[in-house]
Amino acid sequence: MTGVLEGGVGSPSAVGQETLVELRELVVDYVLGGRHIRAVDHVNLSIGSGEIVGLAGESGCGKSTIANAVMQLLRPPAQVTSGQVLFRGQDLTKLSTEEVRQFRWQNVSMVFQSAMNSLNPLMRVGDQFVDMMKAHRKISKSDALARAATLMELVGMDRSHVRSYPHELSGGMRQRTVVAMALALGPELMIMDEPTTALDVVVQREILQRVQDLQQDLGFAVLFITHDLSLLVEFSNRIAIMYAGEIVEAAPSDELFRRPLHPYTVGLMSSFPSLSGPLERMAGITGSPPDLGNPPSGCRFHTRCSHCDPAGRALYARQTTERPVLREVEPGHFVACHLLDTP
Amino acid sequence: MGGPDRERAGRRRLRLPGWLKLLLGNPKSRGGIIVLSGIIVVAVIAPWIAHANPNDFSLIDSRQSPSFHHLFGTTDQGSDIFSQVVWGARSSLIIGAAAALLATVLATTLGILAAYSGGVVDDIINLITSVFLVIPTIPLLIVVSSYLHSRSGVTMVLILGLTLWGFEARILRGQALALRNRDFILSAKVAGEGTWRIIFSEFVPNMISRIAAAFVLVFYIAILTDAGLEFLGLGDMNHASWGVTMYWAQVNSSFLQGEWWPFLFPGMALALTVAALVFILAGVDEVSNPRLRKDRKRGVIRSLFVGGRGARVALDAKDPA
Amino acid sequence: MSAVAVEPDRTLDVRGLSKTFPVPGASLLHRQTLRAVDDVTFALKQGTVTALVGESGSGKSTVARLISRLYTPTGGSILYRGEDVGAMHGKEELLRYRSRVQMIFQDPFSSLNPAKRVDYHVARPLLIHKIVPRADVPDRVHELLDSVGLVPAQEIAKKYPHELSGGQRQRVAIARALAVEPEVILADEPTSMLDVSIRLGILNLILDLKRGRNIAFLYVTHDLASARYVADDVMVMYAGQIVEHGPTDEVLQRPMHPYTKLLLSAVPNPNAGLHSHRLAPRPKADLAVDLVGCRFAERCPLAVAACVSDPQVLLERRPDHLVRCPITDPST
Repeated sequence: MTGVLEGGVGSPSAVGQETLVELRELVVDYVLGGRHIRAVDHVNLSIGSGEIVGLAGESGCGKSTIANAVMQLLRPPAQVTSGQVLFRGQDLTKLSTEEVRQFRWQNVSMVFQSAMNSLNPLMRVGDQFVDMMKAHRKISKSDALARAATLMELVGMDRSHVRSYPHELSGGMRQRTVVAMALALGPELMIMDEPTTALDVVVQREILQRVQDLQQDLGFAVLFITHDLSLLVEFSNRIAIMYAGEIVEAAPSDELFRRPLHPYTVGLMSSFPSLSGPLERMAGITGSPPDLGNPPSGCRFHTRCSHCDPAGRALYARQTTERPVLREVEPGHFVACHLLDTP
Repeated sequence: MGGPDRERAGRRRLRLPGWLKLLLGNPKSRGGIIVLSGIIVVAVIAPWIAHANPNDFSLIDSRQSPSFHHLFGTTDQGSDIFSQVVWGARSSLIIGAAAALLATVLATTLGILAAYSGGVVDDIINLITSVFLVIPTIPLLIVVSSYLHSRSGVTMVLILGLTLWGFEARILRGQALALRNRDFILSAKVAGEGTWRIIFSEFVPNMISRIAAAFVLVFYIAILTDAGLEFLGLGDMNHASWGVTMYWAQVNSSFLQGEWWPFLFPGMALALTVAALVFILAGVDEVSNPRLRKDRKRGVIRSLFVGGRGARVALDAKDPA
Repeated sequence: MSAVAVEPDRTLDVRGLSKTFPVPGASLLHRQTLRAVDDVTFALKQGTVTALVGESGSGKSTVARLISRLYTPTGGSILYRGEDVGAMHGKEELLRYRSRVQMIFQDPFSSLNPAKRVDYHVARPLLIHKIVPRADVPDRVHELLDSVGLVPAQEIAKKYPHELSGGQRQRVAIARALAVEPEVILADEPTSMLDVSIRLGILNLILDLKRGRNIAFLYVTHDLASARYVADDVMVMYAGQIVEHGPTDEVLQRPMHPYTKLLLSAVPNPNAGLHSHRLAPRPKADLAVDLVGCRFAERCPLAVAACVSDPQVLLERRPDHLVRCPITDPST
């Protein structure tokens, strides 16, 4: 089932904004003991330069797999079965190992949920900067350290922390360090995979505000992956919602927030109790995230959708057999849902 | 959930326990299990395959090299070495297993108790463990056996068990420490479970692979030590065993006279048994620590011993090498 | 076992509770202690949910563990229906306490024994406390699983934890806690490790249990929004102390303590207007350092000298609304 769209999902509509990264009909499978689990199913997504794109979904929806695909970090049992990952029009899967190594961190960098996935506990922070920079360009140790100190300041930390070991820093400080390292080579895209989930809400806001400032100054794009939809609404320009390996809705943030169209998005929004507004019992979404090894037929969300009713006859038949296609139902607003398809 | 139910239906005929399937799947432990099973079978059918009494004296037949009549040759006293080796298998296996059982039970109970209770109990048990770790096996055997005026198998099992439980207790304590703060242990405590129940129902089932590894390890160390002690003349010199055969061969300078068979066959039997156990141990290690497994085409991640997230781990696994 | 005069609906009374931990690795001369919990006082009442809100390191989980007797307090007391919990040493007494006060843990992946089936987990409390005759245990297990929404109960009972989703495991943990028919349930961040769409189900279950079974809940969380959803009372904790305490609406709509206000402004709230206001970054409190005055003072925009030098006390500045801060104006 292909969703053929002009220029791909959510392609930058603003004039002059070029496409930095494009995923075309990407399919990623995990091969486990003979079973094929389709983690990413014909996903189309593009990220324009300087854009902040949010990717929301729950565990197992495939969002982290997409991040790894862009960074070319997928390892067996994961494999790219079909589709393309393009960076400035160049197919990343066709690059040699050395070219991929250069590409990684230079053009696209990544911030993970746990800083300890990125930081070596046995080395001083500054030395890790040096290592990383030397791997990508010719630079002396003192120059690299100087740059490291500048970067630390840029993310709001004291220069002296260049000499610290990771365990001497708090969780928030470690995450800032990781952001600094991600920015060290001036990448055009920074992928953040649940970067603040393990942090306090106050620290989270501080770090994201800092990233926002830097983004405006330095002009890099951000792919922000999280399950926290309310955070994305505040932080990103555009949001794509993923469910069971597919993008089910994509729109500019405020548009998505004001008018969510896909039942899953609506359900997600009603799963976040809010601090303001009327206090009433919320319904959320019934059921649980699907087993990707054995996903529901037709529309993958139909087993949990309140609009899926056997009494609906023809519609029900479509919902249970046909996969909905991602369509632009309003300018910039894409949805994959049978309910919105004009009969 | 169609998957697991379907699998279960297909396997109704051959219900091998999961752990056995895993061990047989690993080529190292598969080899080890096959060889060890062979040795066990030989030990069990000893009365039927070794007709000669291993302790027979027969001056006529003495010092004969292997022949059809005496497959492994005879000793200087004329005893059939084949019988000695076959019956000796019983001795080694039983003593080794019994010592391993004693040591493992001690190490498991005390190690987990120390980790779970913490504080004073932990300190006391650590002290006891240290004391037993320091005691050397041979002098202890000499002292105990002369005190008891016997060098029976029971004595040997006791000595071996008591000197070999210490280091495993440390290791198991370490593993139990890692489990101690897992929420299910705390839940059991909050539910009102007693200490011993927690040790045996909550800790042990989640440490099975390490405990099994401990058992196999002590098993082959016990066999080796037992044979070694007998070779030095410190065991019961009247029963059939590999070490004893080699002891007598050594004492009677058989090797100097060019008689290789009293050494080779018991020695090979010993080496084969120990090697089988070492391979089984390697298999157990690989099963309990998935990272040691080499990538095989059939599939890498099994949820049985990992416990916890199961299949979800595979999908959420980040390996940003 | 001393009986203290107690209001009939205060099931669990916590008074001046304190817990200090020795700091490992500190030098021999300078034994440092971590003041994880400092002078905490509150009560839990039947049929109400009391939220304990704070960031990591605030001591909120430690409070729950102190009440469930996983830790021993270094100061203060815990009273269950007037009886001093700390003085309970006998096996019978302890067992009785455990049948009245239960706990649910944060991590659904580690709160169940991976080697045992669901029915084992729910049956054990029934057997330990002899809630029903042995022959009736399987039926009661199925009833309990049913009551927390795990259907079909017979099938689920036979499953191992790794065959269940995070939300299902958490429901098993709740069923297990309910088995003893407790009066108090301490829920330590029960939803923070669950998927978003699953959290609401657990929160709704807590609401149902509060009303249906009249249970007193202590809901420990870092998420203010979920606290608003389920709780009748909110206590805000910072660096081991309670800094604000009052009815949910009162505290969240009219916060008095600067830290509460900071928390409220930091929570992502799309309703409040996009790209909302900025915070000034400051370092967090070091719990190992012994401070006399307010622990939030170093980060507080309103702090004066007296804040640092004088010990601060919880005062009722508005009806039922206590705050540990001398500066805020209750009339605003």
